[in-house]
Amino acid sequence: MRICIFLLALALYGAASSSPGYAAYEKANQLFVAKKLPESVAAVDEALRLDPKLIPALTLKAKLGMAAGQFDVARQCLERALALDPRAQYAQFLYGLEAYLGNDLSAALPRFRKARELNPRDSRTALYLGLTVESLGKPEEALKLYQDAVRLERAAGTLDAATLLPGAKLLLLMGRLEESGNWLHEAEGFSPNSRDVHFELARLLLKQGDASQAATEGEKALTLSDGVVTDASIHYLLIRAYEQSGDKDRAEMHAEIMRAQETPPSKKQNQR
Amino acid sequence: MLFRLIAIGYLGGVAAFAATPPPIRFTEIAARSGLRFEARNGATGQFHQIELTGGGVGVLDYNNDGCEDIFFINGAAIPSLKKTGPEFHNRLFRNNCDLTFTDVTAESGLAGEGYSTAVAIADFDNDGYPDIFVAGVKRNILYRNLGNGRFADVTAQAHIAGNVWAVSAGWFDYDNDGWLDLFVSNYVVWDLASEPRCGTPERQFYCHPKAYQGLPGQLFHNNHDGTFTDVSQSSGIARHIGKGMGVAFADIDGDGLTDIFVANDSVRNFLFHNKGNGTFGEIGLEAGVALRDDGFAIAGMGADLRDFDNDGKPDLIVSGILNDSFLLFRNLASGGGFEDYGQRTGLLMGTRRFTGWGLGMYDFDNDGWKDLFFALSHLAQLDRYLGSDSALPNRVFRNLEGKRFEDVSAAAGPEFQKPAMNRGVAFGDFDDDGRIDAVVSVINGPAKLFRNITEGHSHWLAIRLRGRRSNRDGLGATVHVHLPDGRDLYNEATTAVGFASSSERLVRFGLGANRSAEKIEICWPGGARQHIANVAGDRIVDIVEEAGP
Repeated sequence: MRICIFLLALALYGAASSSPGYAAYEKANQLFVAKKLPESVAAVDEALRLDPKLIPALTLKAKLGMAAGQFDVARQCLERALALDPRAQYAQFLYGLEAYLGNDLSAALPRFRKARELNPRDSRTALYLGLTVESLGKPEEALKLYQDAVRLERAAGTLDAATLLPGAKLLLLMGRLEESGNWLHEAEGFSPNSRDVHFELARLLLKQGDASQAATEGEKALTLSDGVVTDASIHYLLIRAYEQSGDKDRAEMHAEIMRAQETPPSKKQNQR
Repeated sequence: MLFRLIAIGYLGGVAAFAATPPPIRFTEIAARSGLRFEARNGATGQFHQIELTGGGVGVLDYNNDGCEDIFFINGAAIPSLKKTGPEFHNRLFRNNCDLTFTDVTAESGLAGEGYSTAVAIADFDNDGYPDIFVAGVKRNILYRNLGNGRFADVTAQAHIAGNVWAVSAGWFDYDNDGWLDLFVSNYVVWDLASEPRCGTPERQFYCHPKAYQGLPGQLFHNNHDGTFTDVSQSSGIARHIGKGMGVAFADIDGDGLTDIFVANDSVRNFLFHNKGNGTFGEIGLEAGVALRDDGFAIAGMGADLRDFDNDGKPDLIVSGILNDSFLLFRNLASGGGFEDYGQRTGLLMGTRRFTGWGLGMYDFDNDGWKDLFFALSHLAQLDRYLGSDSALPNRVFRNLEGKRFEDVSAAAGPEFQKPAMNRGVAFGDFDDDGRIDAVVSVINGPAKLFRNITEGHSHWLAIRLRGRRSNRDGLGATVHVHLPDGRDLYNEATTAVGFASSSERLVRFGLGANRSAEKIEICWPGGARQHIANVAGDRIVDIVEEAGP
């Protein structure tokens, strides 16, 4: 069975690479990786002019569309790619992602489910399907999918903090503190300079009653830039950590920083 | 608000008592009680943001006949913002004292004007009759109860006409001068001509609140003569720009001064600590009620400040939208602020899939522990994104001895399971049986009256305060009941409950198996204490404030 899939993939690759638009697509992909997006758009359009049925070019154009917030363009490209090859798993995954990023969870769910059927070993699909079902209020099912994504990446040797964090956060939310801690410490091993990981560790410590250590982790998170957790979230955590550890002055200092950041610029100008 | 969906992840004696308590149950009786009302939001598919708020409902005894009446708030046509027909009238229903209601809107003079959103009810002029403040979009109205079944619009002479979008309001006496002051919770700057449009022409939806500029709340001081002074600036309230939704009052630190909580939509909540000198300090951050545990600003909707764990300090519940989880904060002793208690009580995960508006913390089974009622519905646009209907059934959570909240909605009766676009909810005992009922306003659908039919033999006590030095309604008082079985219960005198709504002013207690209260202590606004011993239960007790020294 595996040999059949491999041969099929090889045949599809061969078909794509022999396409008249393939060289332009490869150039577009390199530009995309180099984050030269306008140039990449031009190259992928050229690839599709040469071969309108080139599925890798269609998926790349969809990715470029999503990056630019042109979800209608992305959707059209992916629907075209899937019409050409309904078993194109990556296109199917992106099709789910297009709906997910557009908040259309009812559309994202069946698309991700189909992508997962096409390739149950794709950890990205498991992760995003987990995020979708969690958003739809099914935390237990989401946790199983996060666990599956972690298992798949661990087996492939590609596990990273980004895959561990959603599950760790959900476990924290569910009050399963010890398990959450295990996931977070593993994530810390992969990304010791992730502010998101250290912020979650601080939250965990605060929930475990160790306010002093939570403050230490929170202060560390504040110094890091790799992550999406806002300064305000960290300051708020630090206020509570210092309040609980009896350091009112430091708590007040972080509250003042938050308030200063909240003040609209026009008001700031009027303040002395 | 829609954008928030992807926020997850990435981005007397004691009677014999049954061991198993009977389930909390309701039967829905609006239609057969003559309570026929639909809150119209004027939506015509154009996704005007003002369609999202409104739906306030009030409970009051406007004619002092001892039976709780109901006042519904209604929208208006868009874009005129005018009540172009009777379908947009606010409506007053008189309780005939037999659980039927008569529409007395016309004779009361309360049909209203403009796009109304919320109601706040209290006796602001201390004449013994409840008055009505109606908040709205660019127009607020104050009605004085004339005592003869009619109300007079006294907005102009009171100097409290609004010109912004108000979503909730409430009465309280911040300076303990014996006269009720008014707090108005304003949402965002909105104008039809410059309203942002969101989505695409084919897939329009309501904008996230971040598309709008926020507004500060307003505080109006009662001048004792039918006029008010806007003290928003001098009090410090106006310094804090939020996107205000529900408002709740209580003395959070036991200093005899009433404090203010404002739930904000997608920006942090405010807790205004009353300093006692006419000013407030905003301490939401330090008190730990500004944000969710992870620093996330939920789409705060309704709020209530009451003691759920019977430790004598008012705790805080706040509703939010899908994936926010509703927030429960436990008030810590001795100025320690609040701790996030949603996870420990099961509410965090138990409410994560809901969008909640109105709410209330009341003891529906009279077992001595206050339960939670939530009026639910997703935003009207969400059905096509979620793949399920935006209409939701309401939810009731039973308080398990102050330690956990259990969702007992499934056993609450077949009519309780019916989904609707539920919005505001107000609480009162409409049939005087000691079991608290709930009236729910439904957007573009028939209002619901949930009659509490919980069985069992629990006893109850309701206290109707009459202030003399304090405001006549006694709002701001804290009542402590000591029971023969040794338990102590606490509750707040307030009508500002939940979202855009106003509940009965009685202070209620479930006594469980106790037929009486051994001791009642009233802490009046300002801190004066009054004690009454051996009070029989299963009745409403009138308590008049002692004369001053």
